[in-house]
Amino acid sequence: MQFCSFRLLKSVLAALLTGALAGCVGAPQSAALLASWEQQTLPLQSPILLDNVPFFPQDEYQCGPAALATLLGADGVAITPEELVDQVYVPARQGSLQIEMLATPRRLGRLSYPLLPELQQVLDEVASGRPVLVMQNLGLERFPQWHYAVVVGHDLAREELTLRSGLIRDYRVSMRVFERTWSRAGRWAFVAVTPGDMPVSANVQSYFQALTAFQGAASAADSQSAYDAGLARWPDSLELAMGQANLVYDGGDPLRTRDLYLDIVARHPQSAAAHNNLAQVLLETGDLGLAEDHARRAVALGGNFSQVYAETLQSILADAAQQ
Amino acid sequence: MKIFSKMSKGIATLLMVLFSFMSVQAPVMAAMVTTEQLAYEQHTETQRDALRDFFSRDDVVAQLADRGVDVNAAQDRVGSLTAAEVATLHQQIDELPAGEGLGVVIGIIVIFMLLDIAGVTDIFPGI
Repeated sequence: MQFCSFRLLKSVLAALLTGALAGCVGAPQSAALLASWEQQTLPLQSPILLDNVPFFPQDEYQCGPAALATLLGADGVAITPEELVDQVYVPARQGSLQIEMLATPRRLGRLSYPLLPELQQVLDEVASGRPVLVMQNLGLERFPQWHYAVVVGHDLAREELTLRSGLIRDYRVSMRVFERTWSRAGRWAFVAVTPGDMPVSANVQSYFQALTAFQGAASAADSQSAYDAGLARWPDSLELAMGQANLVYDGGDPLRTRDLYLDIVARHPQSAAAHNNLAQVLLETGDLGLAEDHARRAVALGGNFSQVYAETLQSILADAAQQ
Repeated sequence: MKIFSKMSKGIATLLMVLFSFMSVQAPVMAAMVTTEQLAYEQHTETQRDALRDFFSRDDVVAQLADRGVDVNAAQDRVGSLTAAEVATLHQQIDELPAGEGLGVVIGIIVIFMLLDIAGVTDIFPGI
């Protein structure tokens, strides 16, 4: 059986070989970052090391469970790789699935937030005190050796990252070598966040996607905290506002849902979906006149969900006819 | 010969996906637009933007020009793709090989995007 740390040594050789053949082409993001690191924000100009991030030496299952235990442990979830093996390791695929790696933190009350495929984001997250779980291909394109590790430090002046990786607690790797192995794995990286906290590199679309996925496994209270943090950060986001209103609706509070949607349509009058959902709630709270107004507005605005809007209007008119 | 079989395999896959979408009626939804639906809609638009970026790439524009395809026509078509078509096309582009493989995939994409189903089966009678 091959061990992650042994594969690490081979990966360095493989990456150096491909790097030597490809010149600097293989690590464009590193090249750009290192060329201008002195112009980076202050936190990135100094070396960072998150030494308190736990370490779980493991060399099996592509180090997936170990990396996950590391990431979660850093955010206050006490769990061992052994407890995670069954959740992330699928024997038929001989390794951890990325989807399972994202799903498992959710079951443990943490929001999995995938980063954009940019090394800058990895550095920014670590600089803010948050370790980043990354996927690497330590082998070659045609003969991949998948591997998961956690970035816990960087030093731009030395052009190095520090990883919890396999059997090595503080694996210092050249940023360019890292980028090549990371690139060959699709530049995949994510952080695990306590609901209510906000990753420093987050953007509103990615956060909404992550939250929607989180909701499926999370408690209503945790989802609410995540929405609160999202709306504090992006108060004008229509999707986050509607997501929160829908959460309140699913919790069985139509009056509060109505108030939330009244505010949403006032701020986003062009949103057909918001008008529709308001109409539906007004139907349930017995305000048929206003419900019909908003349902008609939704139908007039149209869009991807026009079938839903037509059905809402039908329900309202049917109710009105009976009165 | 190899390229042709690779192309026709790609075409066959795309056709199968297309036909499967055509035969499924969109279910009439409950009266609220759900958060999942909003997320799916946003996800589709993110992928659509990625397709627009793809068709702005120099190498892709060159490949399209080789096939006599106007890049503006391709961009217009991206705007009118359904969510399912966006997802399928985006997956093709995501799995893009480098170098000479690009030409083969572009060929598949062009046929998929710019011709009717009837037109495609005329060109590949073996399917």
